[in-house]
Amino acid sequence: MEYYIQFMINGLITGSIYAVVAAGFSLIYNTHKFVHFAHGAVVMVGGYLFHTFFLLEWNIIVAALMAAMVTGGLALGLYQLTYAVFYKKRAGNVILLMASIALLLLINNVLQLFYGAQATVVKAFPVTEGLEFWGAIITPVQIIIIAVSLILLGLLYILMTYTQLGKMMRAVADNDELSLIIGIPRDNVKRFSFFIGSFIGALGGVLVSLQEALVPSRGTYLIIKGFTGAVIGGIESVPASIIGSYLLGFIENISIIYLPSDYKITISFGLLFLFLIFSPGGLYALFFKDRVSK
Amino acid sequence: MYYVLSLLTQIGIYAVIALSFNLALGFTGIINLSHISFLALGAYTTAILYTQFGMSFGVVMVLSGLLSGCVALFLIYACRKLRGDYLALGTLSFHFVIYSFIRNLETITGGTRGLIVDRPAFINDGINFFIMVVGLAVVFTFILARIVRSPFGTLLGAVRDDEKLARALGKDSQLLKVKAIVISAFITGVMGGVLAFFLRYVHPDFFFLYELVTILTIVIIGGLASLRGTLIATFIVLLIPEILRFVALPSSIIGPSRQILYSIILLLILLIHSRGILGKVDLH
Repeated sequence: MEYYIQFMINGLITGSIYAVVAAGFSLIYNTHKFVHFAHGAVVMVGGYLFHTFFLLEWNIIVAALMAAMVTGGLALGLYQLTYAVFYKKRAGNVILLMASIALLLLINNVLQLFYGAQATVVKAFPVTEGLEFWGAIITPVQIIIIAVSLILLGLLYILMTYTQLGKMMRAVADNDELSLIIGIPRDNVKRFSFFIGSFIGALGGVLVSLQEALVPSRGTYLIIKGFTGAVIGGIESVPASIIGSYLLGFIENISIIYLPSDYKITISFGLLFLFLIFSPGGLYALFFKDRVSK
Repeated sequence: MYYVLSLLTQIGIYAVIALSFNLALGFTGIINLSHISFLALGAYTTAILYTQFGMSFGVVMVLSGLLSGCVALFLIYACRKLRGDYLALGTLSFHFVIYSFIRNLETITGGTRGLIVDRPAFINDGINFFIMVVGLAVVFTFILARIVRSPFGTLLGAVRDDEKLARALGKDSQLLKVKAIVISAFITGVMGGVLAFFLRYVHPDFFFLYELVTILTIVIIGGLASLRGTLIATFIVLLIPEILRFVALPSSIIGPSRQILYSIILLLILLIHSRGILGKVDLH
């Protein structure tokens, strides 16, 4: 029984990171309607910049926020150079998908050039003994990860629900031509949502760096996990993507009880494939079928 | 000399892989991002059956192709309802599934330790190997050229340009797609076997996203639905990074630089001229 609690807690921790990655990704997907695979690399940029700023002995919160700001700015720059041009040319989604895979590799390898392929450890917090809850062990850093991701997702919810900008983003996500007709500055809203998505993703990278050593290629796995979480929950809705990501975290960790731990990635890739085949709209589409347009 | 020979052999292998990719992507319009997994299946089938079970060379080659073909059959059936970018994502995730199986089935595939592949005696020599690759490349290019010029090839183009219209004219578009992707996967599987012999070693990471980007770059630079373009592009794409080799850089920089070069080339060609050199159709 204790095992289960431990695996649930582990699931919550991995799920928190996936959820933060998926939230940014899904926000970008919904306002732009294309799959931004390079988001995984953007997440890693956040983690590495945090590492650099932290080495400058900045305050940890300042370092994290600055890393996220700079990453958001860089991502927006890349957006202007690539995706915005594709939009102007009315390129199809497949071209955008290929471009995003190319961007993912590009950023990955630029990171590798700067920081090397070996693991980079960020010692933001001293290593402390774990605390015990009902026989399960959780470290203070892990509690911070869970709490920060919940706060972050809460803030995103408030932004999307109660602010003018959030409402405009949802309007663009709903129907971008109609939003333009009623006077929403569509392109600026899209840029802003790209920035916010990358900002949140970069903070996800910061969370990753607290939990484990950074490797450039980790970004590829993170975006596949975030994407899988989003597809399981329902990519058309940001909250559903977040719930799907937590679910994926639980499923992966509970699967360890029955299968060797290496099969974690097989399970998430397999789930991604099955969901894309049988229910591309995810659980959200299964439960609220009439509300999904696709 | 050895260097030039092995580079030319590599170009020969990649040319056939890219040509067969173009059959599915360019000529039939199936956005199949799991092409590299067919290559991996072929390579691993060869590595296991030849080195560990000692089957004969010819049988191993055919079985490698057949396994890839069967898996392609399953994939196209499973993804029959997906279109456009969802098809791309479905096939991409299938690629990940195959990759993770190869990585995890350690007792069969050696996992992340990889597998060592013995070369048959008659192609142990670099020149003989090169001659075999050229022979295979000529045969497969000839077959593909015949296919795309045949009435069957015209039908594939019809499926790509307007699937509904092709169906309205009584053509079984699903069957046509199945045929195209199975041929493409069979050829790729065989080339996977050749690649395994060429490298004398297989590792799951040879068959990850990076290879997909290389092949995509080749096909898109050459142009969709153009065999000649793909052949030209294979030379261009594989020769450009060789320049890096002559600059005195440590390998920790050359590796990433290669990837950076490929991704920038792919981005630029998509941005500036997504039809490529001799492309006849646009990506949707």
